[in-house]
Amino acid sequence: MADKKKRRRAAADSDSDSDTLQFKSKLKPDSNILQILKTLKSSAANTAASEKPRPLSELNLATACREVADLPLSSVQSTIESLALSLAHSILSGNGFSFSVPSRAAANQLYVPELDRIVLKDKSSIRPFANVSSVRKSTITTRIIQLIHQLCLKNIHVTKRDLFYTDVKLFQDQSHSDAILDDVSCILGCTRSSLNVVAAEKGVVVGRLIFSDNGDMIDCTKMGMGGKAIPPNIDRVGDMQSDALFILLVEKDAAYMRLAEDRFYNRFPCIIVTAKGQPDVATRLFLRKMKMELKLPVLALVDSDPYGLKILSVYGCGSKNMSYDSANLTTPDIKWLGVRPSDLDKYNIPEQCRLPMTEQDLKTGRDLLEEDFVKKNPGWVEELNLMVKSKQKAEIQALSSFGFQYLTEVYLPLKLQQQDWL
Amino acid sequence: MEVGGSSESPSETKKSKSKTPRKTKDAAQTLKQKSPAEFFADNKNIAGFDNPGKCLYTTVRELVENALDSAESIAELPIIEITIEEIGKNQYNSMIGLADHGRVDEALYDDFETVKAREKRLAKEARIQENQAKSAALGKKGKAATAVKPIKSRETSYYRVSCKDNGRGMPHDDIPNMFGRVLSGTKYGLKQTRGKYGLGAKMALIWSKMSTGLPIEILSSMKGQSYSSFCRLDIDINKNIPHIHVHEKRKNEERWHGAEIQIVIEGNWTTYRSKILHYMRQMAVITPYSQFLFKFLSGSPDKNVTVRFARRTDIMPPAPLETKYHPSAVDLLLIKRLITETSKQNLLQFLQHEFVNVGKSHAERLIGEMGTDFSPKMAVKSLTSQQIVRIHQLFRQAKFDDPSGDCLSPAGEYNLRLGIIKELHPDMVATYSGSAQVFEGHPFIVEAGLSLGGKDVKQGLNIFRFANRIPLLFEQGADVVTRTAAKRINWNNYKINQTQDKIGVFVSIVSTKIPFKGTGKEYIGDDISEIASAVKTAIQQCCSQLKSKIVKRIQAREQQERKRSLNKYIPNATTAIYDILKEMSRAHASKKRRYDGKDAELLKQVSAQLVTQETLREKLAQHVEQVDYEMAMEYATQTGVNEEPREEIYIPPLEAQCSFTEFHSPIFVFRLFN
Repeated sequence: MADKKKRRRAAADSDSDSDTLQFKSKLKPDSNILQILKTLKSSAANTAASEKPRPLSELNLATACREVADLPLSSVQSTIESLALSLAHSILSGNGFSFSVPSRAAANQLYVPELDRIVLKDKSSIRPFANVSSVRKSTITTRIIQLIHQLCLKNIHVTKRDLFYTDVKLFQDQSHSDAILDDVSCILGCTRSSLNVVAAEKGVVVGRLIFSDNGDMIDCTKMGMGGKAIPPNIDRVGDMQSDALFILLVEKDAAYMRLAEDRFYNRFPCIIVTAKGQPDVATRLFLRKMKMELKLPVLALVDSDPYGLKILSVYGCGSKNMSYDSANLTTPDIKWLGVRPSDLDKYNIPEQCRLPMTEQDLKTGRDLLEEDFVKKNPGWVEELNLMVKSKQKAEIQALSSFGFQYLTEVYLPLKLQQQDWL
Repeated sequence: MEVGGSSESPSETKKSKSKTPRKTKDAAQTLKQKSPAEFFADNKNIAGFDNPGKCLYTTVRELVENALDSAESIAELPIIEITIEEIGKNQYNSMIGLADHGRVDEALYDDFETVKAREKRLAKEARIQENQAKSAALGKKGKAATAVKPIKSRETSYYRVSCKDNGRGMPHDDIPNMFGRVLSGTKYGLKQTRGKYGLGAKMALIWSKMSTGLPIEILSSMKGQSYSSFCRLDIDINKNIPHIHVHEKRKNEERWHGAEIQIVIEGNWTTYRSKILHYMRQMAVITPYSQFLFKFLSGSPDKNVTVRFARRTDIMPPAPLETKYHPSAVDLLLIKRLITETSKQNLLQFLQHEFVNVGKSHAERLIGEMGTDFSPKMAVKSLTSQQIVRIHQLFRQAKFDDPSGDCLSPAGEYNLRLGIIKELHPDMVATYSGSAQVFEGHPFIVEAGLSLGGKDVKQGLNIFRFANRIPLLFEQGADVVTRTAAKRINWNNYKINQTQDKIGVFVSIVSTKIPFKGTGKEYIGDDISEIASAVKTAIQQCCSQLKSKIVKRIQAREQQERKRSLNKYIPNATTAIYDILKEMSRAHASKKRRYDGKDAELLKQVSAQLVTQETLREKLAQHVEQVDYEMAMEYATQTGVNEEPREEIYIPPLEAQCSFTEFHSPIFVFRLFN
């Protein structure tokens, strides 16, 4: 079926303009590209085998760092209970109560090049009840802890939205309860998933992947165009099998749609994942699990703007907000396939598809240049410098100016053939 | 207008001759002369006489501003009485000697209601009533019963506006020309002046002539005169000359000096009521040393308004000085005018004495630069137009020192502050006076005041704009002050909430030439970067003065509300902790989990109801109490004893006849009694 499609496509393309042809003619037969991808996969598998995850304690870092672990429900419960007892004792002895909350501010973050991810340093702040500025937060903290305790007793999962709606009057805004939830997992020293609180489904996956979701086998090639929603709690996911050669990470829903509809994964066996913008915890956990179990190389397709690179860095090195759990959330060794600032000229993307960068964009770009996780990769620094200098950005959709299927038929195959990733 | 024929070249005359036959065909195109008075009668909108309402407003402001100028010119603290009296149609008719006519043919009038229209209206009223009854039955709180709109009457209303001041008065013989001749003033030189149009009461007189035909009445007396002058006159618009009805000397026994002007015009009080009152209030802010009594009288006593703006200080800003033009501020026409008016003989003296910032040596250098056909001793009146163009060019290109602001008379921080306090009674006030700056050769000074809270102030920004010490009320949106305050000041930086707080922004700009925008001269454009940045700095300076006070006030409020805001959360926190304890004690009792030592003890107490939610609540409340007490102590030791709020009072001297010397500073005045 794929062959038939290809023939039809070739006929349709015969009248396309010279620009498209110029790049199309460079394309070698798919078998050559597949060969390249196979070597990529095997080398990725080899490095993954040789690289053992190094625990933080072995690194002898100058500052102490805080990391959380996946805890079983019973130990979460007992941690909460001993915390509650100490709070009660403190109140009964007339001292009020307070929490010691690890700080998640930017100053308390550290990029560890050996691990290639951000970790949280051990600075923490006291959150006393009897203080006007922290009374609200400490009250919300007690309330969240009590709600988590109930979840432990009943052994059920709820969403962040559910949690918010149990006491709207106190929480006022979901962003408040969400932020405190992260604080609580820091205080208790466990991952957010072990608190049995999940976020709503956001990410989707399609392609050559079979896994079990809560016991049901899912074949991601047979999930229609939209693909399979990534389950919010990773515990449900298991038994991953795949014949894919690589994982393609896509920033945008629109590009994902194009790839899924064109069944790109049938031409080049791959798994396509998107979180539709900034990735949520579930997508990051899922990507990491795929990478670890299937030992596949990960290639990223993001917009050519500072936010594209930022999203890439969140998958790769973790976000500052959840750096305490970066060990479980990050996927090492993600390659930046496109759309890179240098591609704009390389692929003759027309002027009308390029956008001028705003002041805010430029500032974000310059800030990124200062970040360690960008600096460690000279290729990225070069690309980012080019972007800031040309003051132009472009979305993945800019490629549609050569035809809607240019992305799947010319751009990506050519990129793969030239091994043009950083 | 006559064109000097001698200078015209023959070829040009030929051309114009060839054109003339065509022109003569057009019989209607005869050359007509228009008197200045006619011009202003035709274009009364440029002087602020757009519609009857605005005419009433502008008449009031012209009279008030003339009165203030007059009193200030003799350094007398102004006392001004303004009265607007509504005149009914019958009264007006009897005034002009017209018999009252009732309507005979009702259908002739515009407000006549035809049978069809009447049916329509009645049907509509019935529908509205039905709807109201329905919503009332449903218990809905609908819109308050909308009063049925009264049928609009096209009747014009007439007002007698009178203004009495204690100023200089006018010389007996000059009165007719001062009122009855437009553009008759012989203002020479340059000065910061109040009037925007320079027309004053003359324009009001033209309007009264147009709308009512009634003459203006003037009673005036100068200091030391044993008589007062009374004059009743109107204006011959075609000839631009006064038409005198009565001009006589009357007895002046109480030795009153000043002027009282009375004029009857068409107007509209209902639509411009708030504008006129705002104007009076803002005038009171910027001139706290004057006393205003504003009265509105009408047939129905419930509509009458009497507002008294009391004097708050007896310090007046010094009168603005006359100054010379700055070389970079003149144009060709102005140079020609200066040449015809000058008393100086030669070019050197002319440059030296008719302009600021041109010294003798500087003038000599300038003349040297002009070229070979100029010399210091050449007669200034003999300059050709080409030579004048050369002078003008040089003035544009050469560098001159900026004019100083000495000739300006800003309101002063002292007066601005007192004015704001007097009229708004704000919780906080700050003022700032910038140094003189220059725009296109004219010096300007920007002063700003900022108030928070107060009486009759709405939430959000309240902008008060003053140009040369008169309020600007119209076209606020495009003004530099409005734009700056609304867009370029980050109020949050100063802990001011732009939408919630009652913010009063007062900006007064004085200059020898205010760069007004638009025909109405009602606003200053936002495109002059010098003025925009000066306004921004002035407002920001006020903001930063207030910031520390605001922070202190917020702290004090937090101090008071701390206990309440802490106690508010006690039930939430204790319930959460107690719930966990209860679950634990249940597990403990059923031996599912084991606890040791004091933990077990605590859980036992929970099971036995010895420790309840109430216990936790009480203990936490006690703790809050203690913390609150400690922090209150700490706050008290830090801030010291609370200052009692002081009441600011002003006691005017009963007999202001002591002689003294005043030492002025921007923020205070020191008086040395001799």
